[in-house]
Amino acid sequence: MRRTPIVLAGTVVGLAGVLGFHTSPAKLNLGTINSTPTTVGSTTTSPTTTSAPPPSSTTSAPAPTSTTNATTSANANPTTTTQRPSTTTTVRPSTTTTTPPTTTVPSTARTATGPLVNYYFGQLSVSVSATGKKITKVTIATLSDGGNYRSQSIDQQSIPMLEQQALQAQSAQIQGVSGASYTSAGFAQSLQGALTQLGI
Amino acid sequence: MSVAVERALPTTIHHRELVMGTVVTFDVYRAAGISPSAFLPHLARAVDALHRADKVFSTWKAESPVSQLRRGEITLGEAPGEVLEVLTLCRRARDLSGGWFDPWAIPGGVDPTGYVKGWAAQRALEDLVDAQLDGAMVNAAGDIASFGGVSGVQAFHVGIVDPDQPTVLACAVELRGAIATSGAYERGEHLVNPRHGEVDTSVASASVTGPDLGLADALATALAVGGDEVLTLLKDVEGYEGFTIGHDGAWKWTNGFPFVHAPASN
Repeated sequence: MRRTPIVLAGTVVGLAGVLGFHTSPAKLNLGTINSTPTTVGSTTTSPTTTSAPPPSSTTSAPAPTSTTNATTSANANPTTTTQRPSTTTTVRPSTTTTTPPTTTVPSTARTATGPLVNYYFGQLSVSVSATGKKITKVTIATLSDGGNYRSQSIDQQSIPMLEQQALQAQSAQIQGVSGASYTSAGFAQSLQGALTQLGI
Repeated sequence: MSVAVERALPTTIHHRELVMGTVVTFDVYRAAGISPSAFLPHLARAVDALHRADKVFSTWKAESPVSQLRRGEITLGEAPGEVLEVLTLCRRARDLSGGWFDPWAIPGGVDPTGYVKGWAAQRALEDLVDAQLDGAMVNAAGDIASFGGVSGVQAFHVGIVDPDQPTVLACAVELRGAIATSGAYERGEHLVNPRHGEVDTSVASASVTGPDLGLADALATALAVGGDEVLTLLKDVEGYEGFTIGHDGAWKWTNGFPFVHAPASN
């Protein structure tokens, strides 16, 4: 029996039925399996409050109808890879940390683009627009996937979804993800960078 | 008139460490604020624990004690003490899993890699226990050791990836301790069936929750390979719960699996 994935009821109109992958921009901490070397040993801090709102109610959504990428979702050979970095050595965490930004943020509309990060099949960067602390738009600023077939199919499905859900995630309840999540990890990493720039 | 700018302490700190062939993420929370100068020494110790585990146990490093042990160049008695410790824990995991987790069945000699990542993350977490946090997660590429929660009273919620669509969550769990998820969609190559030595999974995704990530990780590996048989065995492993998503999409779980929103029926 196929059960349906959960969906947090979103406040974003038109998202009903979108399958739920949720990240919280203010506390992104997805299980990142990929990381660019520049982020090794990086520490980020977030001054935003993490006291969470009450759990969202759930609603059911239709089971995923597309199975086309199910069979290709395993063991694809990435064209770019950061696998097996254990043979390269390690950077210790910096003993200094970024000074936490002040909790005041401009009320004007502004946009920031996160770092270009490797994800399982290529590179991407995320751009965030915000007014005050409210995120108004999340887009992929850069995306290259090396022409990988699986990557394209995932990108076409998941990137728009991730963009929408980053908006929705302002009330999300997930602090982590168990199981590999390559695309979302890269997305989350760049998104976090953009949010940090915006002081969100 | 001058206005003093008050700099708030961060309430969360996130740190990524490239180690053990993957990325380990530290996510720590304290509603009252975290003093970076007080916290970072704890983090440094935790990170050191990961690197030491990598140095001792890596089968990718020819000079590591475990590599030397596998080649027969040193005896177990000559290896660092934690090798015996982990192999003892591996034996326990093998017994609890009915032999479905079996580091001794891996070609090339005993290979505790399937236990070490979770074990090391759990040890790293222990370095954070007395850091005056509300909660902390050490996330070793999707296998998570934790204590506490976001505010100390609310447990962490963790999503489990849908094996058909790795960017979608199948469900969410209320984390009390550790969770490990194994599946063919991930890094299937480490899932060797000890009964015939080939890579094989009975289910698309297998998750195990429990107090210790080392054992949870080993049991998740066993559950991915052994499927229903291991799920039945898990009912007798106190404190540990299992959940599988079959290749046909079917969900199965032990009664105590900590779903945030329980499915209607099993």
